[in-house]
Amino acid sequence: MMARILGAAAAALVLLVAAPSSAHHSFAAEFDGSKCRDFTGTLTKVEWANPHGFFYVDIKDPDGKVNNWSFQTYALITLRRAGTTRELFLDNVGKEVFVRGCLARNGREHYAAAGTLKFASDGILRQMGQLQD
Amino acid sequence: MKLHQPLIILILVSFVSLTAAAQQDGPPYTVKPLPPGGAPPRLPDGHIDFSGHWLPNGAGQGVSGRFGVDPAARGQFDPKVTPEPRPAFQPWAAAKIKSMSPTELELSRSSVNCMPRGLPAIWLQNPYSTVIVHTPKMMAQLYEVLNNWRLVHLDGRPVPKNPEPWFHGTPNPHWEGDTLVIESTGFDDRTYIQPNGWFHSDELKVTERYSRPSMNYLIVEITVDDPKVLERPWKSAPRRWTLGNGEVYEFYCTNNKELEELEKLKELEAGK
Amino acid sequence: MRLHIRAAAAAVAALAFLYVFSLPAAAQRPRTAGPGQKVGILEPGGPAPRASDGHPDLTGMWWPNRTGIPHAENTGADVDRAALRQFDPAKTPEAPPVFLPEAAAKMKALNATQRELSKLSVNCIPRGLPAIWLSNTYAVQLVQTPGLLVQLIEVLNNFRIIHTDGRPHPKYPEPLYHGNPSAKWEGDTLVIDSIGFDPSTFVSNNGSWFHSDELRVIERISRPSRNYLQIQITVEDPKVLARPWTSAPRHWTLVEGEDVHEYYCTNNPDVDEFQKLDSQGK
Repeated sequence: MMARILGAAAAALVLLVAAPSSAHHSFAAEFDGSKCRDFTGTLTKVEWANPHGFFYVDIKDPDGKVNNWSFQTYALITLRRAGTTRELFLDNVGKEVFVRGCLARNGREHYAAAGTLKFASDGILRQMGQLQD
Repeated sequence: MKLHQPLIILILVSFVSLTAAAQQDGPPYTVKPLPPGGAPPRLPDGHIDFSGHWLPNGAGQGVSGRFGVDPAARGQFDPKVTPEPRPAFQPWAAAKIKSMSPTELELSRSSVNCMPRGLPAIWLQNPYSTVIVHTPKMMAQLYEVLNNWRLVHLDGRPVPKNPEPWFHGTPNPHWEGDTLVIESTGFDDRTYIQPNGWFHSDELKVTERYSRPSMNYLIVEITVDDPKVLERPWKSAPRRWTLGNGEVYEFYCTNNKELEELEKLKELEAGK
Repeated sequence: MRLHIRAAAAAVAALAFLYVFSLPAAAQRPRTAGPGQKVGILEPGGPAPRASDGHPDLTGMWWPNRTGIPHAENTGADVDRAALRQFDPAKTPEAPPVFLPEAAAKMKALNATQRELSKLSVNCIPRGLPAIWLSNTYAVQLVQTPGLLVQLIEVLNNFRIIHTDGRPHPKYPEPLYHGNPSAKWEGDTLVIDSIGFDPSTFVSNNGSWFHSDELRVIERISRPSRNYLQIQITVEDPKVLARPWTSAPRHWTLVEGEDVHEYYCTNNPDVDEFQKLDSQGK
């Protein structure tokens, strides 16, 4: 009985470990999955191009200084098909956004891969993280 | 009993975590597998018509980057039902792949270097849609990713003996009943069969088998024959594509800032 | 010995005869050109074929001049120079575009390097619309089915999908290299009206004719005869042009027995070097 429970636990743990949060082939090379955090700020710009979209957010650091961060997204087709359009971004320029992102491995400042995004205007959690293919 | 308490807590935590992670993806699902949709359409000459807007999953719409997707709608095949064998590399080829550094592997990927995926990667490792426009005389394939196309003539015209090396090879098609079989040779050496380092030689021959068992489903089966790289030919599982709503987007690779960053990593690796 | 050679020669001749005359009906013999041959303006070739829905069928591989032979000028043949043009300026003159003073000044201010970098043959970005018709020396393959026209563009291996059922422009058109089309048949002419263009494209390669976000391109495409595709382009751009510009009716000719080729821009290291020139030149 205990053996079966142990076995199931082991399996569950393996499943958890085997499913990385927002992994992507080039994510591992460029971004650090152990340096992910939440960001809150004001959306300033969006660059709608491939293979990565970029959006820019003014974020206040603990010292009160405002820096403009750039966040990398999926290819645009993936965003669109998941219901996140360019129009939505443009409508939210100047408004508050909540982002969870992971920092660049090489220490590049104010630059991260976006995992999820929420516009304050609609509160919908959207995946921005790069495609796992 | 005391000894088992931590274990039970661990198990409970594991399952709760699993459920929490799955909560975004748990039922009710908004994206589900498509039904077969009735009989497949036919061309005026009686052959199956492969025309359509095809998505590489069971949902007929995008499944990436979304919450609420039924796991049964994801992916192109169920490895428990139709397992896909690993390719049997010759020792020298396996060693070559193993020797690639992580950065080299990254830079070899189409999604990073923006080169065309090529054949057969466009059918094996492609999360974007494909449009097929099929007439009795020709089949045009339009690949959303990187906005490429391939034209396959079905009018029996002769196939060049020494084809130039192309990203999608030079096709030689024929029908076997309701299955369209395309054998292609002459491939550009910069493509990879899969973006895991699986390179090919100049003797690569790719066979595609297309069938359309129902209106909503396209099945593509790939055989890779490469006597210089593989011990024996490799055959994919039958991979499904489902009919989409016709919305095809432009995808031109015009900004790849990462490439320079990755090159720097390459220098670091070499310096080790 | 002689008998063998003559038998062999006869066998080869017989095979050649068989090859030339037993090609499948659907595959046409390619029009060829070589030293000593004359290449002129291609004959009309009879009426245009019709699609199942009654419209002219635009399907075919099309070459951007009136010879019907890709790169005829490189074959050593004696090519009529008029055939290398898409229209006869004496019969259908094409007025030059009239630019607003600010736009004209901006174009004039480009230095040599900027001009080079704006060229589609250098920077490897898609030519976009309407440059794929106005500044394109490579083939175009059209595939037409009811309600759909697909354009396979040889240079850079791009495609364009046009629904010909008159569906309107999207409410929020994204800036696309080939714009957002709304197309329908007007008699035997397919009229495609496009808006929403990527800012990085140029209308044509001449003098780096850039465009604003108000660019609107209207294509009028017809097939007056079997061998001819006719395209007339109207460009509207109130921020760049003093008034809309319409091209002459431009002619492309049918190529048979030859295929569109792959053409991927995979090696153009020069662009970075050009960029360096630019920053030095300032």
